[in-house]
Amino acid sequence: MIKFVKASLTALGMATLCACGGSSSQTGSPSTSTAHGTLALDPPFRIASVNAATLAAQLGSTSAGAQLLELAGTPTCGVDFYYIKFWTIGGAGETTESSGALMVPTGAAPACSGPRPIVEYAHGTNANKALNIADITNTSNTEGALIAAMFAAQGYIVVAPNYAGYDISTLGYHPFLNAVQQSGEMMDILSAARTALPGTMTSATSDNGELFLTGYSEGGHVAMATLRAMQAAGEKVTAAAPMSGPYALEALGGVIFFGGVNLGSTEFSPLLANSYQHAYGNVNSSTLPLFSSTYPNAETLLPSDTPIDTIFEEGLLPETALFSSTTPVVAGSAELTALLGVPPTPALPASPQTPIFDLGFGNPYLINNDVRVAYAEDALTDPDGAVPTPTLGVPRAKVEPTFGLRQDFWVNDMRTDWAPESPTLLCGGDEDPTVYFSIDTETMVAYWGALPAGLVTMLDVGQSPPSGPFAEVQTAFQASQAALLAYLQTPAGGGLTPQEAEEAVIENYHTNVAPFCTAAARAFFSQF
Amino acid sequence: MKITKLNALQIATLLSLTGITTAFADEPPNDVRIGLYSVFYHTSADDITGPYVPAGVNLTAENLETLYVGIVRHFPDNFALELALGYPPLSKVKGSGPATVGSVPYDGQVISSARWISPTLLFEYNFLPDTAKLRPYIGVGVNYTTFYDRTSTVAGNEASGGPTRISLTAAVGPAVTAGLTYRINDRWHLHASYGWSQVRTHFTGDTDGFERSTHISFNPSALIVSGGYSF
Repeated sequence: MIKFVKASLTALGMATLCACGGSSSQTGSPSTSTAHGTLALDPPFRIASVNAATLAAQLGSTSAGAQLLELAGTPTCGVDFYYIKFWTIGGAGETTESSGALMVPTGAAPACSGPRPIVEYAHGTNANKALNIADITNTSNTEGALIAAMFAAQGYIVVAPNYAGYDISTLGYHPFLNAVQQSGEMMDILSAARTALPGTMTSATSDNGELFLTGYSEGGHVAMATLRAMQAAGEKVTAAAPMSGPYALEALGGVIFFGGVNLGSTEFSPLLANSYQHAYGNVNSSTLPLFSSTYPNAETLLPSDTPIDTIFEEGLLPETALFSSTTPVVAGSAELTALLGVPPTPALPASPQTPIFDLGFGNPYLINNDVRVAYAEDALTDPDGAVPTPTLGVPRAKVEPTFGLRQDFWVNDMRTDWAPESPTLLCGGDEDPTVYFSIDTETMVAYWGALPAGLVTMLDVGQSPPSGPFAEVQTAFQASQAALLAYLQTPAGGGLTPQEAEEAVIENYHTNVAPFCTAAARAFFSQF
Repeated sequence: MKITKLNALQIATLLSLTGITTAFADEPPNDVRIGLYSVFYHTSADDITGPYVPAGVNLTAENLETLYVGIVRHFPDNFALELALGYPPLSKVKGSGPATVGSVPYDGQVISSARWISPTLLFEYNFLPDTAKLRPYIGVGVNYTTFYDRTSTVAGNEASGGPTRISLTAAVGPAVTAGLTYRINDRWHLHASYGWSQVRTHFTGDTDGFERSTHISFNPSALIVSGGYSF
């Protein structure tokens, strides 16, 4: 009997021992280093693996996806979507963790495995803090779907950061339009992605050493800043295609503060203020508060887990009224008073967006008049070379501005003493009401006017009639806009009046340009 | 000795007393049994939840066979206590639900495996006198199951998105059995039984910190065919 009891205890004891000591397969290993550019978890997590047929079927199941397929072409490759975490730099130089996407082409076609080029993509402004561009399972991740269809499904390895301040980031703010931070983060995720690639489940696809840089809107600025930073670091960039970016930031700031308020400005302003306050500490002060007392929490509001529409609905931000409809009267300066009036006198550079400017004024408003006046005074004292009066070479202000916000624009303006050494395409649309084509893209092209022919190419997808090597893209964009205009006037599209439909088209213009410029970027990259 | 009036706890206590063997001096009180353990899973599980898991992703377990070892202690008036053990088998968990997750095959793929130790303690009642050639019996008891060597397969890692750490919590649940003993002689006998036990566990797969989990009820039934020796 003693033996019986011992036997059963032994059996149970063995079970317990085995449960404690039993092996279990391992998951990814976290890095012990936090050096910038270090892959934080190796191998990276694969969110999804989709073959070419499934990708085509899934995109084709929605009208927007079908339109994207029409533009991008039928996928040649499947795509593995990896979610990578890496260490990078914050806006104030702090070490921080960030995340992003590594999209790897898969499949038997020759273009889908073996040594392949990398496209590094910088996304546009997004108010959603949870943004994860790697998450292709999220139907709201349209930008992720765009770059997957346009690049990864056609044989490019795609690397794209979510940006510090988003997703898993604990930074607490997003270093919005901070050229040093954002270019640094692009270089860091590229380094991490190159480390990750051989250890993925898609190791049959490798880096062939070719690197293409692109990005849209905010990401256009980031892509250009990255090109500049990589050139300075002696790193090879095969070609670049910044798209619809606020490159001439000081000039754009001038247009806005003089009354040419862009669509989206009440979303961009909090992001800018938070970013630059952390980086430079000169945007907001108790003596000259940037934001009106109606919106006391504006500076730290974005990005947010609350949808931007809800933020507007709850009155946490005004939807369009950046400035007060009671424009400032500047004592002793009739010129400044006129310049800050509505409409400004003299008029801003001719722009098809002029009717939209009116939306930027209202009550309640976001930015205090005193700040407008201080900005404008600084801009008149130390003028930008493009706004309000273009000068030869359209440079940024000759000396560093003294007013904080304008100083920050100056620092992050792309008109510094550099020029692309790799073929560069600057794509955008001339009626863009969010990032003005004439102020940003045309200014940069003029700034680089002395470069050898062919090094910098400008593409206006709205150019009519279409011409040149990208005429097909221009034609497709304009047909798409016309189709949208017609659709919005049908019962299915909401039955808008022609004027309402035109306004709706222009309100979505900036977003609508993106896939067409991206298609142009791919065509541009394919030449190299 | 009115042992039939004692409760299970008292019987268990008695088992620890060496003196009790003297009460069965005329009949061999102990059996050892060895045979085949055929396990049939009746798996039910909630759909797996967690990051990046599409709807309808579920699990099921593959039936298996292993070596059965039983140790039985007989008591007067037809009662017995059985400890049923099995050689720890490799239990395979298969994907159930969509044919693919993304484009990765899922339904029917073996996505993980684990060995388990699952002792069952059964309090049994045998019908008919112990001299009968055929004696049916029934039993009720408790099962304890614990898992080890938990492994995510290559297919599991593919579906999960990377190397995955599997955990399955230990389970305690009721068990019942019914069987038949064929008496060859005083020492040797054959047995066949069919039993069921409740095994509920919490399954978690951790891939790079992304945890996907579900509650699984394996609820196995088992057909045991064995030979026994009394001593």
